[in-house]
Amino acid sequence: MAKILIIDDDSIVVFVQQKILQKCGVSYEPLAFKDAREGLNYLQDESNEEKDYLIFLDINMPSLSGWEFLEKLEKFEESDKIKVIMVTSSIDSYDKKKSVDYKNVFDFIEKPITVERCNELRAKEDLSKFFK
Amino acid sequence: MKNKKLNILVIEDHLGDYILIEDYLNEEHLDIQLTRATRFSEARELLTAAHNFAVVLLDLSLPDADNNEGLVKSVVALAPKIPVIVLTGYSDKEFGVKTLSLGISDYLLKDELSAAQLSKSIYYSIERNYATIQLGESEKKYKSLFDSSPLPMWVLERNTLQFLNVNSAAINLYGYTYDEFLSMTVKDIWVKEDAERITSFWKSSINDTFKTTVKHYSKAGKIIELEIKSNPIEFDGKEARVTLATDITARVEAEQALMLSEQRFKALVQEASELVMILEFNGDYSYVSPSSKIILGIEADLLINDNFFHLVHKDDITAVKEGFRKLTDVKRIQLKSYRVKSECGEWRWLETILTNLSNDLSVGGIVANSRDITEFVEQENKLIESLLRYNIVSKATSDTVTDYDVQLDKMEFNEGMEKMFGYTQEQIGSEGEWWNKNIHPEDRENVEAKTEELYKSGASNLQVEYRFKCADGTYKYILDRSFLVTDEQGNAKRMIGSMQDMTEIYEYINTIKNRNARLKEIAWTQSHVVRAPLARIMAIIDLLQVQEGVADQSKLLGYIVTSAQELDEIIRKITEKTEQEI
Repeated sequence: MAKILIIDDDSIVVFVQQKILQKCGVSYEPLAFKDAREGLNYLQDESNEEKDYLIFLDINMPSLSGWEFLEKLEKFEESDKIKVIMVTSSIDSYDKKKSVDYKNVFDFIEKPITVERCNELRAKEDLSKFFK
Repeated sequence: MKNKKLNILVIEDHLGDYILIEDYLNEEHLDIQLTRATRFSEARELLTAAHNFAVVLLDLSLPDADNNEGLVKSVVALAPKIPVIVLTGYSDKEFGVKTLSLGISDYLLKDELSAAQLSKSIYYSIERNYATIQLGESEKKYKSLFDSSPLPMWVLERNTLQFLNVNSAAINLYGYTYDEFLSMTVKDIWVKEDAERITSFWKSSINDTFKTTVKHYSKAGKIIELEIKSNPIEFDGKEARVTLATDITARVEAEQALMLSEQRFKALVQEASELVMILEFNGDYSYVSPSSKIILGIEADLLINDNFFHLVHKDDITAVKEGFRKLTDVKRIQLKSYRVKSECGEWRWLETILTNLSNDLSVGGIVANSRDITEFVEQENKLIESLLRYNIVSKATSDTVTDYDVQLDKMEFNEGMEKMFGYTQEQIGSEGEWWNKNIHPEDRENVEAKTEELYKSGASNLQVEYRFKCADGTYKYILDRSFLVTDEQGNAKRMIGSMQDMTEIYEYINTIKNRNARLKEIAWTQSHVVRAPLARIMAIIDLLQVQEGVADQSKLLGYIVTSAQELDEIIRKITEKTEQEI
């Protein structure tokens, strides 16, 4: 079953996002990682059979930035099944332009993530399967 | 003649006849001495030997001569210069006439002879003979004069102009032989272009003496110019004219050379752009070349009645007159450039060389050769003005002005080198290397490359930035604008530059750059750091609005407070940082 992951070092953001996703039809509490490295480890774990993920990825994180995460992710086998939505508090258009260069990036969202915004994502054909 | 004794040879075998002759002659009281020959042989001996016979009386009936004609011929031959009078008994008139043609002087019949007749015949014969000899000698003299004249002479038939005689000077001049001349007419040697004129001239004065110049061809085809004098004469019974010629070819050539030389002189003086004047010591003109029209706008004819000094500028007249005075000591002098007034009232600058030729008869004055140097003087003035301006600007500018002699590797600086960089006069080097070594080592390569490129490209402007070492060891940022001066071949000659101190400007720019970087940092912080708690608050509020009676409401409100405090903290930090910058 397709699953949602949240990677953000801000625990309040993680909490609020989990709640909003659940409001938008996600039946479980999405798994969250404060450190992007942990997220990578999880995705690489062979015991984890699930390959179909939608990741809400923060850009500015202390140990590994969102960009570095994406670079490593691209090298994974079957990484093409992973869709990433960039989430940032920055309103600098530079980041949005840069995100186009990464094949896994599906969309770019400026914080805050709201219920309305999540519902828009859910309405997209490719993403609807994650909101169950 | 009358004072001399008359010697008479009487060739007469008959004594009676001889005595008769002697009587007749005595009867006429002639002072005579008779010598008698009775035979031809005797007469021959007397005539062959030295003698002073004035006349020979010949009787034709001699014992040793039976042929009268032969006898007459022999005696005439023996006495060529003496008149021979034949005495005969024959009254054979026919023979008498014939003997006259054989060269005898008279023929007398013995039977009709009288004392008076005999003496008359003797005197007449002697006088006639004398006249004939004189005439012959005169002719000979004239012939010799004609032949040996150093001037060419010829005799022409007056109507046909056929050569009848020609002397050796003419033969030498023309190269034709005597016989060749005699087979030609003078028309054959006329130069064609001259033929028409000489024909009409000759026809109009056919019987007159005339004098003219003619052009003839020599046998070799050379044109000879002659001055001829021709007189009508009778020559061997023909109407003729004798012509005396003087070869004037050399004279004509000399005249032509002189004419050419005069023309050349005229061309040089009259057509030249230089103004040539001949002046008196008091400045009166005696000649002005036509170039006065070009230089001064005044016709030479108008100037000639005036005085040269009237044209000279009042500030220059003293120096000009002083130059004229000096000519009494030196022959040639160059006047310091001076101004003269042109037709339109403009002052023209002249450079003049005066040569005193007042003792030269062909000139008789001071020759002034003048050149219009107005444009040159104007340019020179502009240059001086420009140099003055350069010096003023160089002193006034706050820049350091450099003047580098590329070929001598010498460099000069204005006061800027002391004021701007703090060097003392003693510390400032005069060679390019001194300047070069004070350029910051990191900039030197770029400066050298750009200078080299300027030399090669043929461009004249160079703008380059570098750091230059001050006397205290610090560096100043310099904007150097240089202008390259080249010679006619395009080789670099001088480099004039201005070094502008850009240090303050650069420091100001750097300050602005740093400030910009920090402001950018603030903007980034605002975008990322400030928006993080704000976005959080917005997200929580959104969640609270959607979720009524949510279980985690107090937890979420707590998150709002935390986020708001965080936000407040960030804003304070930004304010502090911004205040520091400003």
